[in-house]
Amino acid sequence: MSAVALTGRAGWDHFWRVFLIGGLISYRALFYWISPWQYIPTMLAAPLFQILFFVYLGRSTGVGSTSFFVVGNSIQICSMAGIYGMTMAISNERQFQTLSPILATPSNRLAIFLGRGLPVLITGFQTTCFGFLVSALILGFRPDPGSLPLLAVAVVVTAASCTGFGMALGSVGLRVRDVFLISNIAYFAVLLVCGVEVPLSQLPGGVRAMAQFLPLTHGIAAGRLLAAGRGGGTAVADILLELAVGVAWAAFAYLLFRYFERSGRRTGAFDRL
Amino acid sequence: MSAGRAAAQLGPPLRWPRVLVVGWFYQLKMQAQSGFMIMTALVQPLIFATIAMADQQAGNRSLPILFYALGAGIMGIWSTVVFGCGGVISWQRHQGMLEPLVMAPVPFVLVLMGITLGTATVGLYSMGATLLWAAVVFRAHVQLADPLAFILAAVVTVVSLGLLGLVMGSSFVLYRNSNSISNMLEYPVWLVTGLLVPLSLLPGWTHPLAYVLAPTWGVQALRAAALGGQPLPDLGWCLLASLAYLALGVWLVGRVEVRARSAATLTFQ
Repeated sequence: MSAVALTGRAGWDHFWRVFLIGGLISYRALFYWISPWQYIPTMLAAPLFQILFFVYLGRSTGVGSTSFFVVGNSIQICSMAGIYGMTMAISNERQFQTLSPILATPSNRLAIFLGRGLPVLITGFQTTCFGFLVSALILGFRPDPGSLPLLAVAVVVTAASCTGFGMALGSVGLRVRDVFLISNIAYFAVLLVCGVEVPLSQLPGGVRAMAQFLPLTHGIAAGRLLAAGRGGGTAVADILLELAVGVAWAAFAYLLFRYFERSGRRTGAFDRL
Repeated sequence: MSAGRAAAQLGPPLRWPRVLVVGWFYQLKMQAQSGFMIMTALVQPLIFATIAMADQQAGNRSLPILFYALGAGIMGIWSTVVFGCGGVISWQRHQGMLEPLVMAPVPFVLVLMGITLGTATVGLYSMGATLLWAAVVFRAHVQLADPLAFILAAVVTVVSLGLLGLVMGSSFVLYRNSNSISNMLEYPVWLVTGLLVPLSLLPGWTHPLAYVLAPTWGVQALRAAALGGQPLPDLGWCLLASLAYLALGVWLVGRVEVRARSAATLTFQ
């Protein structure tokens, strides 16, 4: 792809401005939970209670160690920002009836689209760090200190792949009226499908195969290996697989976004609520 | 004379049950068609039931599948209550309905009670769904030890959760971001009331919290009726909790109504 195709005729300055400043402004405008009164209960307290709930469920059923559930849930909670945040960042433009003016501008679509992902990715990363920190304080979770830098990489990559997945859901919101219903189902379904709460080996073959193409599966597998001090090549391979899944979802989401943009222009779907 | 007109001519106390029943039925019809409520009462409990049952089968199998099916069912009722009732007054205000409802010549608390009980009743979807799921997917032997007591326990649990919803609805109204409290309140109540995790595994300081929350007694009564045991003591505690919620709810709604009228904030968003 040539630089002009990537950045548009206005060049890189314009691309970065739309990507960074546009992304930040859209995050401030469209992310429901940005005020502390919303952020603390929704993005910190609820994920913390989720970790505690599943750790105790795991202790009751005896299916996995505390570390299994702490790592699985702490990484999974980054998808709250990725899935809901990206759904808000894209499809709320339609709800607030600001989508048509944005798409009428000549701004680079890739910059508009990707710019919305960066603040969401950072939010997801923060949420996971909070989950690990609190688990260390109250559940005695102790990951292998030597693996922490690679664990951080695994979390960033997983947050990015969840953001890519959320971008696809958000793009669906350009067409579907109640996209949050789909986001809700997606958020809870990954708990079951991606090996967060149930070991993948216990799931039916079809579900296991599906999990390979979803975000979180490989990131969590890498996280568990790293937390146990068994990093090495397998964990790196899992991180790379997670990255590939994320890039694939983001590319699919971008194509979906452009498709719905074109068809929305033709049918006037943007103004239908 | 039509039944409706005859009821309308009854004195206020005799008209109250009709207000409650009509409100309950109308809310039930409305919520039963809401995509969000179906997700909350059907899809979400099934996912949690599957997780718990799969973990049970992969783990030590110390508790029967039915234990988790019933717990996940109550989890669904709690979620519908938390999301459906938590913002009940705020939602009526948002819809522009709060003023007409407060002005209606019936106690406002009865109107709200119909709404919260209707919302809790939708949660029964989850109970039926998780029991069916346990039987079909996990091949659990779903045979209720005392079906009559089970039905009674289900009704009492729904009523008590509906009344708890009344308390939440009237207290959350003081907090502008009531939906974020709802987001936060799902997991802790699922945990401390022993819906999927036995209370004996939780720290002792959580037990007093469990005792004042109706789901604790409701799920214990349902489990006793389904698996064999004595459901009556738990049902008694559940009823007692319901009466306490009713008294608190009536007081809170009265306070909120007076405050909103005197400050002229009924129509404020």
